[in-house]
Amino acid sequence: MKPVLALVSSAAAAGMLLAGCGSAQTTANTPGNSTNANPAGSIDLSHASGTVVWAAPPITHTGLRKALIDAFEKSHPNIHVELQDQNSDTDTNRASLTTTIGGGSATPDVYLADVIWPAQFANAQLALPLDDKLPKDFWDRFSDGLVEGATYQGHIYAAPFFADTAFLFYRKDLLEKANLPVPTSWEQVEQEAKTLQQKGLVKYGFVWQGASYEGLTCDFTEFLADAGGRVLDDSGKPVLDSDAAKKALSFLRDLVQSGVSPKSEVTFKENDTMDAFNQGDAAFLRNWTYAWNNSQTPGQSKVVGKVGVVALPTFGGSEGYSCVGGWDLMVNPHTKNLAAALAFVDWMTGPDAQSILAKRFGEIPTNKQVAQDPSLAQLSPVFSVIPKVKFVPRPAQTPNYPQVSQAIYTNVNQALTGSVSVDDALKKAQQQVQSAVSGSGL
Amino acid sequence: MVESRWRTGLGYAVLVLFLVLILLPFYWMVVTSFKPTGEVAAYPPTAWPVHWTLEHYRNAFLRYGFGVYLRNSVIVTCLTTLFVVMLSSMAGFAIARLPVRGKTPVLIFLLIISMFPAIAIVTPLYMFMRALGWLNSYQALIVPYTAFNLPFAIWIMRNYFLQVPGVLLEAAKMDGASVWQTFLRIFLPLTTPGIFTTAVFTFVAAWTEFFMALVFNASKTMRTIPVGIGLFSDQYNVPYGDIFAGSVLSILPIVVLVAAFRKWIVSGLTAGAVKG
Amino acid sequence: MPYAAGAEGQPDVSGRIRVRRHRTHQDGDRRAGYLMLLPSAVVVAGVTVFPILYSVWMSFHDVHLTVNGYDMRFTGLANYGTLVHSSAFWHSAWFTTYYAVVTVFAELILGMLIALAIYRVQRLKNLSLVVMLIPWSLITVVSAQMWSYIYNGVYGVLNAILQALHLIQAPVTWPGTSTGAVLSMMVADIWKTTPFVVIILLGGLQMIPAEYHEAAVMDGAGPWTVFWKVTFPLLRSSIALAAVFRILQAFGVFDLPFVLTGGGPGNATTSLAVLGEQALFQNLHFGVGAAVAVSTVLMVLTLSLIFLSAFRALVEEGA
Repeated sequence: MKPVLALVSSAAAAGMLLAGCGSAQTTANTPGNSTNANPAGSIDLSHASGTVVWAAPPITHTGLRKALIDAFEKSHPNIHVELQDQNSDTDTNRASLTTTIGGGSATPDVYLADVIWPAQFANAQLALPLDDKLPKDFWDRFSDGLVEGATYQGHIYAAPFFADTAFLFYRKDLLEKANLPVPTSWEQVEQEAKTLQQKGLVKYGFVWQGASYEGLTCDFTEFLADAGGRVLDDSGKPVLDSDAAKKALSFLRDLVQSGVSPKSEVTFKENDTMDAFNQGDAAFLRNWTYAWNNSQTPGQSKVVGKVGVVALPTFGGSEGYSCVGGWDLMVNPHTKNLAAALAFVDWMTGPDAQSILAKRFGEIPTNKQVAQDPSLAQLSPVFSVIPKVKFVPRPAQTPNYPQVSQAIYTNVNQALTGSVSVDDALKKAQQQVQSAVSGSGL
Repeated sequence: MVESRWRTGLGYAVLVLFLVLILLPFYWMVVTSFKPTGEVAAYPPTAWPVHWTLEHYRNAFLRYGFGVYLRNSVIVTCLTTLFVVMLSSMAGFAIARLPVRGKTPVLIFLLIISMFPAIAIVTPLYMFMRALGWLNSYQALIVPYTAFNLPFAIWIMRNYFLQVPGVLLEAAKMDGASVWQTFLRIFLPLTTPGIFTTAVFTFVAAWTEFFMALVFNASKTMRTIPVGIGLFSDQYNVPYGDIFAGSVLSILPIVVLVAAFRKWIVSGLTAGAVKG
Repeated sequence: MPYAAGAEGQPDVSGRIRVRRHRTHQDGDRRAGYLMLLPSAVVVAGVTVFPILYSVWMSFHDVHLTVNGYDMRFTGLANYGTLVHSSAFWHSAWFTTYYAVVTVFAELILGMLIALAIYRVQRLKNLSLVVMLIPWSLITVVSAQMWSYIYNGVYGVLNAILQALHLIQAPVTWPGTSTGAVLSMMVADIWKTTPFVVIILLGGLQMIPAEYHEAAVMDGAGPWTVFWKVTFPLLRSSIALAAVFRILQAFGVFDLPFVLTGGGPGNATTSLAVLGEQALFQNLHFGVGAAVAVSTVLMVLTLSLIFLSAFRALVEEGA
């Protein structure tokens, strides 16, 4: 079996292609010169002690954070970890972190950071460069490609903690009833969804995330990659007026306008699509790894045992692209206990923590050794699908990524409602991405 | 009088209609908080829980530690309200009834302060609080809440003092009372509706404030209810049942407070009112 | 900014009192007055002045966050120039103004109606007050989540009711269109903040001496005349207070679009506060974000002054 996160080799390739704007970055900001530069990773972690404050939003309320902290404290009796609960809304979470750390606070020492944050946080010096604090071979533990995503202008700012990606979940009972195969292309998904709806077997054909928020950027980036397009070209220029972009957006818009996806699609976030699927109202669902466990939990789901999962398809057949998601660990540049913070980061990305993460909580590990463990495939069907997934990152190598993303999701969302044509929406997105990348505009 | 009775009847009808309209969404929230998770997202929705459950209330306390948030909110809000009422009634009285200079600039200045969007102030205020060493403390919220609610409170109190006839001040003086005595014994009792309005306004504003509480008091022992309820959701789930249970709990203290101070509030509100 | 010429014995907005005073008391009274103002002045100035000035200062700079704090380079009006040339800003300004005017107008009318009804009926006053406090004291984010649950296009109760009444055929996603999203927000806002207006107006009503009404009724005035000639002019300071502070709050509307619509669809419901939050906390463009905040203040100030002068004309016409 290929490494589970062979993902990452393709992610790296895609990353090179799509995230080209990293090199077009012109900010004359030299990061990392302010803290005690310490070459060759000579910080001694073996005597680390004291308290580490770890800021993390609840990934899920399954006790993941507490289980990891308990195990860490057992193996490091001299270090106490205090969990600082963060708001699960990514924007609220980021706002509180940028305000406190930007305001000079020494805590949290370590914080959980979305994979799209490194460039922005590095540029604003909200994260400590880790490449000269940890030994070179530390970075070898991660599956290929992940460290590139945490790198900005030659420095590594984050340790990948767990990865996430999207899948196509389907109702195998409905497909059986209607005698339909598992679809292998987007066109087929649309066709079969329509058939199931016409037969009165299900209310909605296909649900995905179409609200005006970051999630829509993920969904759109996938369809865009499937159509052969991308957001930024190699030189960092936006290319959203391409035929590929038109194809992707037209397809999504038709899904909503033809009723394969509900009209509510334009307000759907992950939880809305999950609810619709769990209530038995949707035949197909595009969602992240967690959706497997979520749909198989009795009491909140009516489709336990009726669900299948495959890699997202593409236009015209075979496997399509899936957005790279997940979370990293970053260190506060003002931390007063760097050794303990690094010891915590070291352990959290090591085999013990990563095994707990994967085996007990079903998250995709970033540690190569754990990711290659063949026993994972038996734990959850999503693990056996991962080797087939092709990855596409969001264009997050620019510190202005949030603005780039806003330009994408507001205009795509507007097109989905039907109030603006595909061409006009893309033209506007193109302009706004352009002004975002150049660091101007609102 | 026939006509008068007819008008009172109309008043009843209007009032009852609005009370029902106001209560309907709230009813929906309360009912949902007693439904098991599976029923929360059912369609068509059930008007009454088919299976009653207290799981959301249990979650609020046991899983999310609602008790701590409640304690912090009560302390912060009550002290803020107390300070604002005390300070604003003095300042309002001075502006309304005493010959201090520069009243108009002060009033406009206060208005502008209340206009400044909170989001633009939080960052510099955070640095200020950190410099004072006040982060994760009750005063980190009480002091800014008092400061940001005072402008409006002063405006309210000033309005009420203006409606108390100014001749009373002169009359009290003639009897040899000091300004302070006149303020405390004559003017303050006559403006109880104003004090009530100010208190309620401040209480609600402090009770529901989110952003400063989020940033200034991040430690788990110092969080207030709005920040605490914000932690009920996880990345991909909005647990409506738990959130609604939390907000029902967050309203209970206010209902209890109003019930407990009923006499005071009613006498306050009926002071000066006579049946029409 | 006096908005209404005071009736005889009624002070104008600056609080000037038209009652003759004995000179001898003036100085002592003034000293007591300053003493009474002092604590509020210390608290308000101590806490609010620095952050506000800092924010205004930032709006004239290109601000970059570094590990040593904010790195500021003076750029004059460049941030304001960015706003002026941004269609997103003008859209937000227009939307916010429209939203504030419509909701405040609706709230004033509804609030007046309810306040008069409570005043008239008296018996339900206790219950009414408790009920009024419920929406108002609901945490704003939660209230937005509640409406989002009610409006939900898949399992929302609003659709269920309308379908049961045969008013709609299929479930509708209320915040899914531009008009729908704006209306959904307005309903949620009016529900939550009308009680605020009611309490202010009710307080004002209670302060009107009953003899005024009685005298007017004696003179044979009908209820409509009594309202316009007696109640309304005497309530004007309460109305102005409620209106100005509601305009101000409506202009800062943030949680509702943030939770209910995410500013969408498109940017249909992106209020100035949402736009400012995006600039300040998502994009970390502190200078531009501060400029949005300062511009908002200027707009609210203008709108309040327009309202007050229009209101003054209305009162003078009625009286």
